[in-house]
Amino acid sequence: MGRGQRYGIALSAFVAFAVGVVTALSLLLGDNPALFGEQPGSAQLAGLLALPADVLLRLATIVVALSIVIGIANLLTVHVGRLARGKAYSAVMLASFGFTVFWYVARQGDTSLLEAVQVPIESALAALLCLSLLHGGSRVLGKRADIWGLLFVAVVVLVLLGSLPLAELAPVQAWRDWLMRVPVGAGARALLLGIALGTVVTGVRALLGQDRSFRG
Amino acid sequence: MAENTITIVSFVLTLMVFSYLLGDLPLIGNLYRVAVYIFVGMTAAFTLIVSYEGVILPYLQDIQNQSTSWTALGWRADITIFAAALLFGLLLLLKPVKSLTWLTNSVFAVVIVVGASVGVVGALNGTLFPLLHATVALPDDLTADFNALVDTLLIFVGTMTGLYYFHYQVRARSDGSEEQSRVGRGFRHIGKAFLVTALGAIYASTLLTSLTILTERIGFLFQFGA
Repeated sequence: MGRGQRYGIALSAFVAFAVGVVTALSLLLGDNPALFGEQPGSAQLAGLLALPADVLLRLATIVVALSIVIGIANLLTVHVGRLARGKAYSAVMLASFGFTVFWYVARQGDTSLLEAVQVPIESALAALLCLSLLHGGSRVLGKRADIWGLLFVAVVVLVLLGSLPLAELAPVQAWRDWLMRVPVGAGARALLLGIALGTVVTGVRALLGQDRSFRG
Repeated sequence: MAENTITIVSFVLTLMVFSYLLGDLPLIGNLYRVAVYIFVGMTAAFTLIVSYEGVILPYLQDIQNQSTSWTALGWRADITIFAAALLFGLLLLLKPVKSLTWLTNSVFAVVIVVGASVGVVGALNGTLFPLLHATVALPDDLTADFNALVDTLLIFVGTMTGLYYFHYQVRARSDGSEEQSRVGRGFRHIGKAFLVTALGAIYASTLLTSLTILTERIGFLFQFGA
């Protein structure tokens, strides 16, 4: 690695740190006059503090949109290359892409293709998920026949039975409602808090330049 | 597009996707793949359309209109932001040039840390603080509603032990081996029970949702056949 590249990487890390800290502080402190008390000019100060985040978020939004366009251009290039090597499925993909864009432009924003093609395929794939879930669940339970597996099955059966609209199952439905409100609520909160803590830690690592994803 | 055409296309595509269940039979096995490639092409096209019409075009129109401004800095600042974004977009194209990769990475760095900052602030304000507050909040009248108090305590214990389950701590023995404390192991077991319950309920809910969609699709196929 040359000296120029090393300086470049150091610059990337510095830019990342500065932009990240400015954005985070601006988001936390900006547009919140209550933070500065009842003093005159607190609203202006809060608005001023919100400005850097506003500018950087708009910049990032446009860059992300442009990178999506570049990514799709790359996808098309890859499939043109595959088509040249005789992969027929790529022709289907390219034709589907071209036809959709042509249809949308020629019909001035008509999205009926979405209803005719996209929605049925998505629905059918989601329907297949049911069979995959059942297959996967039965395989996992076959391999893990312990107390936790039994608890898992009991909860699944209770939730499924409780969802049936039968008057005879009213006590099961009451149990299901309690289960969803208390133990499931607690477990889901633990999972969500874990995800939030993970997001904070990963975000801070990115701000400090500890993540290597953009270092080259 | 005519209603009949939409129905026929939907019917054919649904059958093509369901052909996955027949396995890798000659000719039929390809139908599922064709449907998936159509789906990918169409998704890419709609993503492109939404990116252009939803983000790039409105910004492009706004910077031509002097009376509107995105920020308090005014119209000229909007042009600067848009020009900087375009420059960043051009720098992304330099990715294949090895010696200039650091420039592309700097653009990624800006986008990633802005996203990370939004993620951190969103996780703190949107999830962490509200959930912690809801977890430790007690019912208004403790004596009047004993069940509510028990439920609140259960939620508190479940949340804390659930979080503790992801924490792994051992102490070293004199012979060099490692050992978990009994209390820690107990907490982890209680937390695991709550997490398994939550995951079971999530699994059952997903199963119910996909089952509903499956019955709707099968109903559609029979309706079309009739």
